[in-house]
Amino acid sequence: MRVVFRMFSKSLCSFGVMKILIVEDEPDLAASIGAYLSDEHYRCEFAADYATALEKIDLYAYDCILLDLMLPGGSGLKLLEELRAQQKQDGVIIISAKDAIEDKVAGLQTGADDYLAKPFHLPELAARVHSLIRRKQFGTTNVIEQNELKIDLLAKTVTVEDREVVLTKKEYDLLLLFVSNRNKVISKSAIAEQLSGDMADMFDSYDFIYAHVKNLKRKLQEAGYGNYLKTLYGTGYKWVI
Amino acid sequence: MSKLQNRSLKRFVQYAALVLGCSIPVYYFILSQLWQYELNEHNIVLTAKAVREDSFLIIGAVTGLTVLFFGLLLAGLVLLNRRLGRKLWTPFYDSLSRIRTFDLQQHKQIRFADTDIDEFAELNTNLDKLIGSAISAYTQQKEFADNASHELQTPLAIVQSKLDLLLQSRPLTQEQYDLIEDAHKALTRVGRINKNLLLLARIDNNRYGEATSIALTTLLQTTLEDFEPFLKERQMAVGAKLDEPVTVQGNRELVTILVHNLLSNAIRHSAAGAAIFVQLSPGLLEFRNAGRVPLHTGRLFQRFGTVSSETPGTGLGLALVKQVADRYGWTVAYHFENGQHIFSLRF
Repeated sequence: MRVVFRMFSKSLCSFGVMKILIVEDEPDLAASIGAYLSDEHYRCEFAADYATALEKIDLYAYDCILLDLMLPGGSGLKLLEELRAQQKQDGVIIISAKDAIEDKVAGLQTGADDYLAKPFHLPELAARVHSLIRRKQFGTTNVIEQNELKIDLLAKTVTVEDREVVLTKKEYDLLLLFVSNRNKVISKSAIAEQLSGDMADMFDSYDFIYAHVKNLKRKLQEAGYGNYLKTLYGTGYKWVI
Repeated sequence: MSKLQNRSLKRFVQYAALVLGCSIPVYYFILSQLWQYELNEHNIVLTAKAVREDSFLIIGAVTGLTVLFFGLLLAGLVLLNRRLGRKLWTPFYDSLSRIRTFDLQQHKQIRFADTDIDEFAELNTNLDKLIGSAISAYTQQKEFADNASHELQTPLAIVQSKLDLLLQSRPLTQEQYDLIEDAHKALTRVGRINKNLLLLARIDNNRYGEATSIALTTLLQTTLEDFEPFLKERQMAVGAKLDEPVTVQGNRELVTILVHNLLSNAIRHSAAGAAIFVQLSPGLLEFRNAGRVPLHTGRLFQRFGTVSSETPGTGLGLALVKQVADRYGWTVAYHFENGQHIFSLRF
């Protein structure tokens, strides 16, 4: 089953529309990812089996390929090997139900840029895609600019009107999550997952999120940055720009 | 092939027949000697007294001889029984010792030695069958757990993604948002449980082969550092007394999970502002945290043994600890002392 989303047409001509290939045999999941990622910056294409994916990879270049490992007709790793053998530089994020360390190591050694185990939150995926594309595109000077806000992804520094804002690691990670999911509602649980990583399963209270978000907001506003981070429905957040 | 009982019986009968057979000429000889002696001595004329004396003498001699032969027979039987028994029961004890070393976890079929005794051969055949079916049921169950948790990941991912998408739809009322968030929360919990089940299944299936030497002291220090933000969050203090260098042999990922789970267990079951003590010495690792009443130890380390509405964990953390400890022959134990929960690991 192949679903192709074409929900944008007007901004295709503006600077770089990023092409993303979603290689995933589960049509529901592929459609969700496509719907979430597709906007004026990203255009998504779909491949639901090995042969289709191989054909697309042969014909086109993608900025980012989301690759499931278990596909009808062949393994995702094989596809990855093929891609790297052709010297193609497409960024690849493996999205797989396998989450053992050896699976991750195998994936990264074969040439994947990132590995995200299912189930994942879409904002988390969006953040990974965002940072991968930036990494691929702007090798040495990788700075996200948003009005007077500048985030240097390599030095991991944040400045507002050339004044440095000192953030903790968690606040920095949060900021990146928000920036790469702009105009999207992000739930408390998605943030918790992102903030606590492997520790997530140990803590049941999401209270600690409040403190981090509050501090980030305060620091940005003190530095003179506009109030772009909105609180929605009490516990959700949205980076409005 | 012959019956076990027939075998021993045959030998006993043979021996008894031999002893009795031997005793007949001996009785005859001794009695006739006695008789002759009496005739000569008393010049054939037998008085009533002599007859009485004779019969007393003969009775005495016969009794003595019988006792003697009975003793012989008994001693022989005991000796024979012991020797035969040892030989006859060898295959049984052999099978028994093989069963004793059997470990279902290693799913290695036992090879029984061949025997020419019907009962034991039948016993071995049936044990063989029994063990075979136990192993196959066990393997199937493990594979099932592995596959089931694996297959669940994708639908979970779909639900998760749909909820994330639903969150983007507008307009969304507060009530709808809360519903989505509640569903999210439950889903996250299912995801964690599933992840831990997968881990357990993977340990069961021996997917963690490589054992290396692990510096436990360093591992504990880094784990404590990882937990630092959470400890700060809950204003908890950790008293750590770590001997160094303590090393263990094990798979790094598994040992990390073990330490991680024990520590987070102590943190999670402590009130905000409380203190936790970690102590590491060669062969012993202890986690202590304050508590009011001892925990019920019965199902503490079993899968889903501790799930209740007050402990919203996955119910698998301690089961994982035990599973890892068992794998390396370590013992993990819980006891309550001076108002403290103490989880100790001996390795």
